[in-house]
Parts: sequence; structure tokens; C-alpha cells
Amino acid sequence: MFRNQYDQDVVTWSPQGRIHQIEYAMEAVKQGSAVVGLKSKTHVVLASIKRTSAELGAFQRKLFKIDDHVGIGASGLISDGRSISRFLRNECLSHRFVFEQPIQVSRLVRDLADRAQVATQRSWKRPYGVGILSAGYDKTGSHLYYNCPSGAYYDYKAMAIGARSQAAKTYLERNFEEFAGADVDALLQHSLKALSASVTEDELSADNTAVALVGQGTPFTILEGDALKPYLAALKADEDVPPPGDGEGEMAEATDAAASAGEPAAPEEGAPAAEGPAPMED
Amino acid sequence: MSGIGTGYDLSVSTFSPDGRVFQTDYAQKAIDNSGTVVGIKCKDGVVLGVEKTIISKMLEKGSNKRTFPVDRRAGMAVAGVIADGRQVVNRAFDEAVQYKSFYGDSIPGQVLADRVASFVHVFNLYWYARPFGTSVLLAAYDESGPQLYLVEPSGNCHRFFGTAVGKGRQAAKTEIERLKLGEISSEQGVVEVAKILYSVHDEEKPFELEIAWICDASDREFRRVPADILEAAEQQAKASMEESDMDD
Amino acid sequence: MVDPKAAAAVHSGHDPIKHTTSPYVTGTSVLGVTYRDGVLLAADTLGSYGSTKRYKSFERLCKVNDQTIIGAGGELSDFQYILTLLEELSNEDFCADDDAKLSPKEIYAYLSRVLYNRRSKMDPLWNSLVVGGVQDGKPFLGTITMLGVHYSDDHIATGFGQMLARPLFRERHRPDMSEEEATQLLHEGLRVCYYRDKQTTNKFQIAKVTTEGTTISEPFALETKWDYKAFVNPGALAMGTW
Repeated sequence: MFRNQYDQDVVTWSPQGRIHQIEYAMEAVKQGSAVVGLKSKTHVVLASIKRTSAELGAFQRKLFKIDDHVGIGASGLISDGRSISRFLRNECLSHRFVFEQPIQVSRLVRDLADRAQVATQRSWKRPYGVGILSAGYDKTGSHLYYNCPSGAYYDYKAMAIGARSQAAKTYLERNFEEFAGADVDALLQHSLKALSASVTEDELSADNTAVALVGQGTPFTILEGDALKPYLAALKADEDVPPPGDGEGEMAEATDAAASAGEPAAPEEGAPAAEGPAPMED
Repeated sequence: MSGIGTGYDLSVSTFSPDGRVFQTDYAQKAIDNSGTVVGIKCKDGVVLGVEKTIISKMLEKGSNKRTFPVDRRAGMAVAGVIADGRQVVNRAFDEAVQYKSFYGDSIPGQVLADRVASFVHVFNLYWYARPFGTSVLLAAYDESGPQLYLVEPSGNCHRFFGTAVGKGRQAAKTEIERLKLGEISSEQGVVEVAKILYSVHDEEKPFELEIAWICDASDREFRRVPADILEAAEQQAKASMEESDMDD
Repeated sequence: MVDPKAAAAVHSGHDPIKHTTSPYVTGTSVLGVTYRDGVLLAADTLGSYGSTKRYKSFERLCKVNDQTIIGAGGELSDFQYILTLLEELSNEDFCADDDAKLSPKEIYAYLSRVLYNRRSKMDPLWNSLVVGGVQDGKPFLGTITMLGVHYSDDHIATGFGQMLARPLFRERHRPDMSEEEATQLLHEGLRVCYYRDKQTTNKFQIAKVTTEGTTISEPFALETKWDYKAFVNPGALAMGTW
């Protein structure tokens, strides 16, 4: 691991103008299992891979409903993600209490970003170790945002975060132009296809996958377990090429799970480079 | 000017033997490496322009904002770490609200600039904080007319006719010095800012221009330049780039 | 010997804090009707100081944004304070820069929260408010009292107008009225308020919201007629008066 005397706390700038602690927090996002998000003009979909710490353990949820019109997917330290959930739910609730109307998603994620920044500038705090994809629908349309531990946030048409998300991102980059006009079923299929690109040994199952949907006339809904089976079946039927490294069912699942629970999976993006502009800056 | 390895560059509450606060200098580095931000004061208003590198083609167009209104009569362009910049923007907004609720009128540019600078400065004083990795250009329009300020991570604040920060600042400042700022209108200013940002841009990377202004054409409110005017300015900038390429 | 300092401390500790217990400069009724294309609000321009006609050109109807107008009766300084609250909210929208503006229903909900919170602190904003607007192409009209009581309806009147103008509205109002019909109805309401409410002057404004935006009329006077038989001896039909 790359080390130096400037990476011990969040209130130390490196001579290159970087804050290593923030970059390390951004690495934590890559350790979590993948979440993808994509949207049409009227709907937004999140899809996630869930992990389990033991064969008999439940799969850890990483999609959270925030309000009827918005929900999030988290990758990284899910406990941080839950504390963010609580913050977001409170924001939504107090806005509804005063205005009797849902909060604008843009303002919700802005408030989260501003909160995340504070943890990057106080010596007694640490940045959030979680990346948040927010899916929402409000009076200005459908929205997909990514909130980074650095306190930056981005407005995306489609995005994937978490372990091996580059493969999903590549799928999205190849297809995102057709998402705007796509119907809900097409969006769901795209989300699962993108997600399956991020799976290696295992394959998507009703147990390890969760999908969420929100949009015009559709309150935020999480589809998992049996509710997801028809979509997974459709995915399977639709697959021309089997996903890379089509696994051996439960055995693969167990080993993957053990790997993810024990030592962190090797980040494919690698440790941050020593030189160059701060990646959090753009 | 290097404090590396000396141990004098680890905290904002440590002076080096020759009287520097290296942590403040390092924060400035974050800005020096970031996208160029230009501000000019024209005859009738102020124009702020930002060069935004596009980090993904899946980003929404015009998102990832770097210019922010903080009051109807004032706005900011942020260079450097955007998360830090938003914090400064929020403080400016709060100061504007506080001033208005107390005095019943919009906050004057000078007062706002001073208050923002004081806020930024505080983060240079205590071991448990770090300076902001951001420089903000502040455009304001009050009774004394349009004004442009620059607030740096150190808490320094200066008023300018025109200035630039970020990667292309040197070239941009040279270009700005060539302009007759006392004579051109804000409409012309938008074109000049577009030309400058195009000329200092490293051609490899895709980028987006964001230009905001406060002038008569914007009803003296801080607003983003309308799409058609921006489009026209970009066309002219591209044309003049090709022209200068032909000269080479 | 009683320590005067201790006595004062005990005293101040037990003395209730006194807030506004009565209004000073007040406006009277605000009337409002929905119609085919939007909402009309009407009010006079008097600021009364007790029974003195203290300010004769006080505009009690105000634009909040392109789709919302607000009218107020009661303590006019409190109304001005409410307007600064709304201005702050609208500046927040401006600075948020996300194309979202407060809708009439949001403003109505917000104000009802503000007025109820203040009355719960025993420090009320002494107003009756009327909010009018167009939302999703449909007219919206609602009212809020100084206690935080609020409701929306097709036609609304506050203060004396509730007794004087509202019966006329109940009889004649239709949601599909034209602007002329609605204006006519409001004129009737204003006129009867002027006849029977001594805090009303004959100087009125009408504010309009449609999908096109908002307008507030210049002040105007209504034609009046005072030679009705009923006006000659107003006490004759009411036992116990003179």
C-alpha cells in the first residue's frame, strides 16, 4: 500500500494539493458490491448485488427507500449508508411537514453532499466510506445522482459504482443513449444486464439481486426475491452470450461471499497514483 | 519553496522557519491544477466563465455546476475542490440572507467579499481544520455598480478588473490584459471569456463551458448566460481558434 | 429585609412573557373567487389605526411568484413580515437554481405552519391570509387564520366579508365563470362590504392569477348608492338598536 506522512488525517494537504484520506474513503466505495442506476424521461431504476457474510447469513440490503419519490443504493460501508438514509429520510419528512409536498431531489442530494463535505474538513471526523446513487422523481422529472465521500455530487443519465463496476459502466456507456425513451421493462432489463456484467464467479439470482424502481405514478419500490424472478428469467432468455465466468451456483456464491466478508476483494482500480491532480476535484 | 520532509508542512498551525504556512500553499495547489476559471468586469456588468472537464459522457449536460447565485445581486464561480467551494457558496448565501433580514437591502459586494474572506480565513487558524481547496470569484452588482472579487484559500481577498485562476491562469491573464475592459459590454465579454477558455484548454480532454453574468441584460441578477448567447459565443470562440491555427 | 435583586429575579421568573395581544394597524376583509382561468382576489387599500382611517393606499394584495398571489387582513406589519419570509423562500429558489419554484399549495402549507407555530408560542401573527394561485392548470384558493386554522374552497372571504360577501358568493359563484362574471361578483362583494363594514374604504384592488401569470389592478372605486329605503333608518328592522 502506498503510504506517506500526508495521509494520516483529513486536515492535511499533500504538497500536490491532495487529501489522501478522502481518496482512501473513495476507495472504500469500490470495496462494496456493485450498484447500477439508469433512467428514462419518466422512470429511474437502481439494481444492486447483495453480499452475505456466511452461507447461512442473510444477504445485506443496500437499497433503501427514502420517501415515496426517492430512494438510494449504497456501496461501501453500508452502516454509513444507513446513517445517510436516516438523514435523508428526516430531510424528506421535515420538508413534507412544512410544504405538504415532496422535496426536490436536487436539493436533497445537495444537502447530503454539503453534509459529507464537513466530514472532510474536521480533524475529529472521517469522510463517509460510502457512495450513494439516488434515484428520484419530482416536478422537474426523473433524476439519478451520485454522491461521493468527498462531498462532490454528480447528475447522471446512467451510472455504476462498487466492485467491478467498470464492466457495468462500459455496458451503460454503450447503451445509455436509448434509455431516455425506454419503457419501464426495458429499463429493468438494461439494469440487470449492466449489473450482470459486474458479476464474475456468481450469477444474478433472486437472492443476491435487488432492483428498485421509481417514476411517474410509481412510488419507490424495491423488487427482490420472488418479485424479481420474472425479470431474471427474462434476462436469462434474452442473453445471447452467457455472462463472463458463469459460476457453479452455490459453491461459487459461498466462496465469493466469504471473500467479500473476510479480506476485502482486490480493488481492480488499484491504489491511487502518487502524482497528478486530485481525483476528487473534477 | 518546499517544506517536504521538514515537518513544517503538516499543519496549518505551524510556521516554517522562513515564515510560510505550507498547508495554505498546498491548498492553493489544488486550485492551480484544476479547470480554469475566468472573471472580467465589463462596462455594464461582470462575466464569470468556467472550463469544466467532462468526466463521463453519461453526465447530464450542463450539470456539475460551478457557478452559483448566492443572492439575486451576487454570484460565485468556484475553482478547485467543488465540495469545498459549495461550502463557501453556502456561507455567502447565509451572509446575504442575514444582511438582508437585518438591513432590508441586498448585501453590498465589498461587504459580502469581506465576510466570505473572513470565513475562509478561519480555516487557516486551527490545527483541527484545513484550508479550503478552493478559490472563488465573486460577482456582485450594487449601488456602486458591478464588481469582481477573488477570495483565496488563505482568506486573502482582492478586487479585480479581470482575473483567472486554475490550470490556464497565466495564459488567461495575459489574454485578459489585452482586452479593453472599460469599453466592452457584457455581451462582448461573454464572447471574450469563451475565446479565452477555448484558447487555454488542453485540447485532449472533452470540456463544457459554463458562463454566468450579472449585468443589464440579466436585469442585474446573477444568472447563467442564456443558451443561445452561449452557443453563439462558443461558435465565435471555435472560429477564432481555427483562425489562429491557420496562422501557425 | 427583602433582597430587591432576588425579588426581581423571582418576579421575572414567574412573570409570563407578553407578546402581541392586540393589533395596531389593520386591514379588513379579503375576498377571493376561483373562475374558469384562475383565481381573483380583492381587497380595499385601507390601513386602519383603530377606527382612524390612517393609511389609505396600503396595498394588501401581493404577488409571491408567477403562479401565486397573497392577500391579507389583520395586523399589517405582521403581513409585511410574512412577505419578507416569502421573499426569503423565493430567493432560496432563485439560488437553488434547479427550475423548481414554490407552488401555491406549498406556500399555503408553509404559511399555515408558520401561523400555527406562532400561535402555539402564544405569539401570533395577527392576520387572516388568502392564498390564490394556479397549480397544474387548476385554480387554487385557500385561507389561513391567525390561529393556524386553514381550508381551501372555490370562494373565500375573511373578516367581515365572511358574513357580508360570502352569502352572495354561495348564491352566485360557479367554477366555470368567465373573468367578467367573476369580477362582477367580486364587485358586488366589495360593495356590500363597503356599505356595512366601517373599516372598508371605497378604494379597491383586484389581483388575478392565471396560467399566464399574475396581475394586480390599479386601485379603483365602485359606484355606490345611498338612497335605499333600508339605509334611511337602519335600526328600524333590528330590534334593540337605535
